[in-house]
Amino acid sequence: MLRLQNVYKKFGDNVVLNNVSLDVNQGDVVAILGPSGSGKTTLLRCAGYLTKADSGTLILDDRQYDMKKISSRDLREYRQKVGFVFQNFNLYGNKTALGNVTLGLRVSQKMPKAQAEEIGKSLLERVGLADRMDYYPSKLSGGQQQRVAIARALATNPEVVFFDEPTSALDPELTGEVLNVIKQLADEGWTMLVVTHEMEFAKKVATRVVFMEDGEIVEENNAKEFFENPQKERTKEFIFKSTTWASTAKKDDSGDNSTKQETIES
Amino acid sequence: MTERILTELVESFWKLFMVGLKVTIPLTLAAFSTGLLIAFLVALVQIAKVPVMRRLVRVYIWIIRCTPMIVQLFVVYFGLPTIGIKFSSFVSAWLVMSLSIGAYCSETVRAAIESVPVGQLEACYCDGLTFWQAMIHVIVPQALRTAFPPLSNSIIGLVKDTSLAYSVALVEILATAQRIAARTYDYFWLYLEAGLIYLIFCSVLTVLQRKAEAALERRR
Ligand SMILES: Nc1ncnc2c1ncn2[C@@H]1O[C@H](COP(=O)(O)OP(=O)(O)OP(=O)(O)O)[C@@H](O)[C@H]1O
Ligand SMILES: [Mg+2]
Repeated sequence: MLRLQNVYKKFGDNVVLNNVSLDVNQGDVVAILGPSGSGKTTLLRCAGYLTKADSGTLILDDRQYDMKKISSRDLREYRQKVGFVFQNFNLYGNKTALGNVTLGLRVSQKMPKAQAEEIGKSLLERVGLADRMDYYPSKLSGGQQQRVAIARALATNPEVVFFDEPTSALDPELTGEVLNVIKQLADEGWTMLVVTHEMEFAKKVATRVVFMEDGEIVEENNAKEFFENPQKERTKEFIFKSTTWASTAKKDDSGDNSTKQETIES
Repeated sequence: MTERILTELVESFWKLFMVGLKVTIPLTLAAFSTGLLIAFLVALVQIAKVPVMRRLVRVYIWIIRCTPMIVQLFVVYFGLPTIGIKFSSFVSAWLVMSLSIGAYCSETVRAAIESVPVGQLEACYCDGLTFWQAMIHVIVPQALRTAFPPLSNSIIGLVKDTSLAYSVALVEILATAQRIAARTYDYFWLYLEAGLIYLIFCSVLTVLQRKAEAALERRR
């Protein structure tokens, strides 16, 4: 349904995305994992046209878009079909929670106020914020802000929603409420591309996992296979290191596969 | 102070006050609103990096900032007619003061716009908004809030600067005081009274500024 083809991006001399290709099927929840600086954010930003790729093609619903150059008309059409959730929320400071969710509908789609608010209210209810509709972002906790941002991303009823580390800016005790909302969306069948460092989340919610390093996709598999049976050495190492600090600290780093998998399963 | 002077001052107070209401305040409001519009356009041209225009506005800011306002007034009111362009005193003052506010406030406005996190602009793009729609609905309203205190200072400064229009034959507060005093020779008292009128107008603005700031603070 969504297909990224040969996405290439350089910052100066630094090749950040080296011909990355990725297919996302309807209903897929794709978790993108990888060490810091591997190009995950850049890939997502290119797919959301927030950064122009140097080359690459994007196909969504049989419509093909050039990732380097796009007409403003195509861009408008494309943006209605995708939603974007940022690491640091980026809520509009001058709008209430409801205003944040409805702005795109009202301004970009010229939807009448009443209709936009009806959609906005039902979305805020779905993310558990029925009682916070009139709050300004500065009066909301980080977890609440991110849930408003998720509702905002869903407002146009997009085909795919991109998440860039949606819980990284949150205090640990607030990540749960956001991950629960994303899980709920997954259960409802939304198609999502989620960059995350939350291994448990990737394991439990993702249908597929993509592992990136140095601007390339190193390994890609369905979630179960990816964690239970990683193919590449690098992937094994990453999974091992990313599962709880305690487990790495306790065991020596001989990389004994059987003990490692017990840790992961538990 | 004699009784004569006292009666005269009470009488002239209302004259000066009315001139303030009818000339100084309208000039201030007209010049400030036009100037603010210019300031926003100039700031946005620079932020959006509109080619050519962004260079032109730098030249404009440079000229306005580095020449005295009274010289600008003279050029417009006494100079332009020699090449066939004639403006009334009020229009000359309005023009010059708008351009001045536009130049000085554009930097304030630009800093305020740039203080809104760029992520909000990106979120607008994701919401399908264009650059200008994002500016109007999200960025500028927040920038205005940040720029509000320095802009209030500018408007208070402008109330006082309107007295410069005296030099291009505008009958504003100072000119009126001067005319009355020329008849009675009570320069000391009348100029003091003119100062008092400015003090009153600017104090009212200061109070309004505080109220507005509190109201803005509640809405976020
Ligand atoms: N605007 C930019 N200008 C120059 N270099 C950039 C820019 N954005 C990212 N980079 C570089 O591109 C590389 C990939 O960055 P990116 O943010 O995509 O990584 P990431 O996988 O999201 O990392 P993290 O897990 O830390 O978020 C990094 O080396 C980074 O320094
Ligand atoms: Mg990142």
